Amino acid sequence: MKLGNLGTSRGKEIGWIVLFVGPGLLLALGIKFYPLFRGLYDSLFFFEGGWKPVYVGLDNFHRMFLDKTVQQTFFNALKVMLTIPVWVLFPLVLAFLIFQETAGWRVFRAVFFLPYVIAPIIVGQIFREILGLQGPLNAFLGLVGLKLMTTAWLANTFTAIWAMVAVVLWSFSGLGIITYLAGFATISDDIFDAAAIDGAGFLTKIFRIILPMTVPVIGYWTVLCTGGMLLWMFPFIHALTEGGPGHATMLPEYLVYITSFRFFERGYGTTIGVALFFVVLTFTFFQVRFMYEAGAPRQKQKGGAA
Amino acid sequence: MMKTNRIAIIVISIALIAIIGGTSFAADQKKVTIKVLNWAQGGQEYWDKTAEAFSRENPSIQVEYESVPFERYYEKEGTYLASRSGPDVMANNLGFELWERAGAYKDISKRLTPKIKRSLYDYTGCALAFDEKLGILGIAPSYQGNLMYYNRELFTNAGLDPNAPPADWDTFGKYAVKVKASGKAMLAMGTGHTIAYWFFPEIAKNFWKSSEDIQQFMRGQIPWSDPRMRKVLDFMAWMADQGWYQEGAATTTMLPDAGDVFIRGDTAMIYGIASDVFNWKTWGDAMGHQNIGVMKWPMIDPKAPFAGKFSGVGGFSVGIAAWTKNEEAAWKYVEWMASEENANLFLKLAGGQPNNKNFDKSIITNSPSFTKIQSIISNNMPHTGVMLSGRELDAISRGYEQIILKQITVDDWAKTMQDALNDSDLKKPTAAIWNH
Repeated sequence: MKLGNLGTSRGKEIGWIVLFVGPGLLLALGIKFYPLFRGLYDSLFFFEGGWKPVYVGLDNFHRMFLDKTVQQTFFNALKVMLTIPVWVLFPLVLAFLIFQETAGWRVFRAVFFLPYVIAPIIVGQIFREILGLQGPLNAFLGLVGLKLMTTAWLANTFTAIWAMVAVVLWSFSGLGIITYLAGFATISDDIFDAAAIDGAGFLTKIFRIILPMTVPVIGYWTVLCTGGMLLWMFPFIHALTEGGPGHATMLPEYLVYITSFRFFERGYGTTIGVALFFVVLTFTFFQVRFMYEAGAPRQKQKGGAA
Repeated sequence: MMKTNRIAIIVISIALIAIIGGTSFAADQKKVTIKVLNWAQGGQEYWDKTAEAFSRENPSIQVEYESVPFERYYEKEGTYLASRSGPDVMANNLGFELWERAGAYKDISKRLTPKIKRSLYDYTGCALAFDEKLGILGIAPSYQGNLMYYNRELFTNAGLDPNAPPADWDTFGKYAVKVKASGKAMLAMGTGHTIAYWFFPEIAKNFWKSSEDIQQFMRGQIPWSDPRMRKVLDFMAWMADQGWYQEGAATTTMLPDAGDVFIRGDTAMIYGIASDVFNWKTWGDAMGHQNIGVMKWPMIDPKAPFAGKFSGVGGFSVGIAAWTKNEEAAWKYVEWMASEENANLFLKLAGGQPNNKNFDKSIITNSPSFTKIQSIISNNMPHTGVMLSGRELDAISRGYEQIILKQITVDDWAKTMQDALNDSDLKKPTAAIWNH
């Protein structure tokens, strides 16, 4: 494009595009891509004592693959990801209940969203007290005759990780509900009216109308949840358990933090971070591809109808 | 003639104004701002006063603090270390935490005069491997170390003499029986990094035979399978079995809750330190200074050479960043932080134990604990808690939580400690610290 063309309408159009897209693109490059490539670079070095780093090639990766603690954290991540169906369906059901405008639905909508606006670290500290051995949860269980179920929820090797997931689910569900409600709003009321005439019940509406017609929204929320489980649990881990007892609730992102900033092994911590990036990338790739393939036939149908 | 005089007066006036203005301008130009990174240890009021007091004595230097909550401190500091830019002065805890960051600090060993060294309880804590020949990375304004505090009223209620706290673990056990009979737990416990810093050294000191033992431990030359180290872990595990801790003690994040447990009066004793937090000021302000007693940790073997000593080290260091462009101004600040004036401020406002011995003892008159601490700290030894690497610190804390919960055995714990030692780059003979 010659400079002389800038005066043309095409040139002006390009100028406006650059003006509006440019800052965002620069921000993305600076905040997302630069750290990514810098991380890849740093993972090839050994950092010691703040002195000049030493190039070690793939030694950090070799060490990581043999590191039992790293293996455990990724195994824990896998356990957490097994709960994805709950993360997807729980807010969906709540959102549909609100969508049906049952009594008090506006209040419920606000109340369900409230946990999301509380800072995660505060949520973690609150639940640390609630889930404590002498906390309100155990007190309640004792009161209703379930004393046998009382335990130190965050200190029990088996329950700690599930308790933590439950806390995070409580915190994030509000966002899922709002996301689903936005998706439901795109479904024509005529369809629900027709279903009501045909005598469709609650479950039928969910499985025959809601789920099929909100696949893209479900897909989007699933991708968000996957990323969240692998990348957004840090404040909860830090407030609730610091990865304990032992490493029972340690996830890769928290291990990156303690390796880099407590053990001060920057190169090795970055290596674990790089591994986490590729795991998240892999999951996200297949999920987005599934969403695309699931959405493609619907797009073709719409194109045919037009 | 008069016209000439008037012109001369005007010209001279203008010249004088130009000279004075130029001098002021030059003076303003020479004014330096140094940035200090810390975690506001002791409270923001203390740090604000230090900036005022320092600038009064050094009008050409302005101090700007960047105070970051301790939980985020390493993350923030890490970004500055990675970019090798940022503050002119930084703070760190002593021992491996400081040594791991040695390349980020200037060596100030040549600046430390004998007078400065004599005025401090400890200056070698800021030296690499406690050896000033390897370089000194900063000065510690505070002095720190491990103590036990107790509730005098609860001792009395249990039928114990509050003026005779237990000096050994056998007596401690007998006291615990009486405290338990009075309806209280003996010792407030919260697992976390305090296991490494406040607990481990007080048990380990009973098993060191000489200073060489301690040196070898620092250099990673004593494996965790060694009988000396194994005895430490065994004893800590034995303590967990005695029923001395409050219920729910074993969670990694329990530390602040342990303080609440002691303040509430649910336990008769708590372990703590001399400065910063969990110290005589924390408990005294909350429970009444006359109600708080302090003692050294009990001994296992009173005949052991280090058993009765106070594990002491500088509380935190302030050092000059390796990349600073204001080295002289930064040094003036660091030097002032070790002064008597700062020591008085630190004691008065932060309630910490100053590292400068010449502080004004009349500042604190209402705390019998503080007075007693002055005699305790005079018989001191190197603090071996700060000789644990970052990995060992993490492993010992996590492991003790699981020991209390009976999730692992001492054999398992010793193994994880050895794995942590094996993975600790700074404790390898090839580490830059030992070859610097």
